[in-house]
Amino acid sequence: MNADTLANILFASLRVMTPLLLAALAGLISQRVNLLNIALEGLMLFGAFFAVVFGAQFGSPWTGLLFSILLTTLITLIYAVAVVELRANLIVAGLAINTLAVGLTSYLLVVMFNARGAYSPAGLVSLPKLSIPLLADAPVLGKILSGHGVLVYLSWILAGLTSLFLYRMPAGIHLRAVGERPEAAETAGINLKAVQYLALLLGGVLCALAGAQLAIGDLTIFNNNMINGRGFIALAAVFFGAGKPGLTAVGCFVFGLFEILQFRLQTSTSIPPQLPQMLPYLIVVLTLTGISLQKALRKKRISV
Amino acid sequence: MFKRVALFLIVALSLILAACAQQPASTPAPTQPAAPEQPAQPTQAEQPPAKTYKVALITAQGGLGDRSYNDSGYEGLKRAEKELGVEVKVIESADPVGEGEQLLRSAAESGFDLVITLEYSHFDPLARVAPDYPNTTFAILNIAVEGDNVVSVIFKEHEASFLAGALAAMVTTMENNELVNPEAVIGAIGGTQSPGIDKFIVGYTEGAHYINPEVKVLSAYSNSFGDPAKGRELALAMYDQGADIVFQIAGGTGEGVFQAAEEAKRYAIGVDSDQDYIKPGFILTSMIKRVDNAVYDLCSRLVNGALQGGAIVEYGLKEDGVGLSPMTYTKDKLPAEFLTTVEDLKAKIISGEIKVTDITKQ
Repeated sequence: MNADTLANILFASLRVMTPLLLAALAGLISQRVNLLNIALEGLMLFGAFFAVVFGAQFGSPWTGLLFSILLTTLITLIYAVAVVELRANLIVAGLAINTLAVGLTSYLLVVMFNARGAYSPAGLVSLPKLSIPLLADAPVLGKILSGHGVLVYLSWILAGLTSLFLYRMPAGIHLRAVGERPEAAETAGINLKAVQYLALLLGGVLCALAGAQLAIGDLTIFNNNMINGRGFIALAAVFFGAGKPGLTAVGCFVFGLFEILQFRLQTSTSIPPQLPQMLPYLIVVLTLTGISLQKALRKKRISV
Repeated sequence: MFKRVALFLIVALSLILAACAQQPASTPAPTQPAAPEQPAQPTQAEQPPAKTYKVALITAQGGLGDRSYNDSGYEGLKRAEKELGVEVKVIESADPVGEGEQLLRSAAESGFDLVITLEYSHFDPLARVAPDYPNTTFAILNIAVEGDNVVSVIFKEHEASFLAGALAAMVTTMENNELVNPEAVIGAIGGTQSPGIDKFIVGYTEGAHYINPEVKVLSAYSNSFGDPAKGRELALAMYDQGADIVFQIAGGTGEGVFQAAEEAKRYAIGVDSDQDYIKPGFILTSMIKRVDNAVYDLCSRLVNGALQGGAIVEYGLKEDGVGLSPMTYTKDKLPAEFLTTVEDLKAKIISGEIKVTDITKQ
């Protein structure tokens, strides 16, 4: 394997991990207020849909992105009302959002564009790619880190900001307090509901970005199956990272890397394709098992 | 209480929407009122009026207006109406999968001589329904169903895939084409690993090796038919590994392959219908299934009394049931001898001189 191939694999891994990372940050923030957000998948699909539809309507991917954020957040608000205000079961409400996403987008595609399941408007361009000055000319590293789409860089910044928010900003600290010691937080005068709304709505924005990255980051297409389980992989990455943004990002990268490696394994070896296809998921399951084991052991040690 | 009602409403609404989504927006295409508009038939004079055969076509998921499979079938039916004088009707449904049995039964009870269903999943209800209506002949596409009054239509996709592979093998070593790299490597991306998909890939590989045994054929499976981002990544990985032509057999995932081709300045090959227009110039050709020809041929067999129930009818290159697209956007860039060679190979497959492996029969 030469340096070029390696650079190419790492470059592609960073690209593949981006929607996962954005969605995982959404999952992480809800996780921190003790809300298991399984609606990531559906919210991402809404994000992708609005990005393509409004991007095409106004002839600019930026407008698409803006509308995607606004409308996906609006839908997240419905979800948040159901979960926070009406205390709906998290799993059921999440499933409802996921089903609604597939149904509503398919329906709107037929009504608006007479398109079935997929929509690829002519004239829609994808979001721009950035060449990082100085870095772009660096050998190998330049090929790995420069030239990605804008949302790829934004996802890194947002991962950093999430960490900053959770550990350094009052709102973030309140948020963690609500998740870890709700009674104490309430006694301290923190508005539980407001914090839960905040966590879910921030997640909505992140899911919109994740969906937009899939639909207009590199491609210019919508397909009602295009999220293909990424919302749940993102959730797994949250557990992988034990609720910490940095580790969660590592989890997403590992998944992205193994996804790219499995493509290459399929084309360069004669092992049945099902084995490489399993690889990224297998890694997730194995790490999660490892993490639980470690936790169990630690608990045992403390009790002894 | 309120929260339960609200939740129930959300779930119910989403289910309703999901169901509605499959419903065609426009009213179903009417069967042509034809008769008065048609020019007077020159043969109408002395001959006693022959029996007018009635044919129904049940559309598959996606329905009319898909610019692909269903519309192609409808084209064939319209041609049969015009040229063979059969009476035709299109039966559309919001849920052709769930309503399979009712659709087949109501079509049979309406007195059609031939009921053609384009919906693959009807293989199951068809086996139950067909024996109840011995006077109706049923036809189903892409799968073999047993029954004395059932005609199964199978396309020999492997034959046209062989031609696509042969063309790709010639193009990959071309010089003076900016979409081609010096390496003799081509690729194929399938939706899932299954005999139905491998039929294409094996034919493609055989065609490539027939032209040039040195050509390396990379193959991979996306394990999804609706994930364009994954299709794009798979194709980019193949282009990076030296492939310059990638054949997609992966439905919606394949749309990502086309975008990757445009981005990497390489070729892709389309599937099922003529997809060359999606990225003009970057889709070398498409391996097409002529559903229109198959539907027309079924009607023509009906009129000529040659429609045999219980048979499997295969449409290959010979019957013009499969083939390559006209290459509207890429033909000018290719040397004429490539196209002659493809025609040559086609003649050899038709004559039986070249036998292409059909993996589904092994």
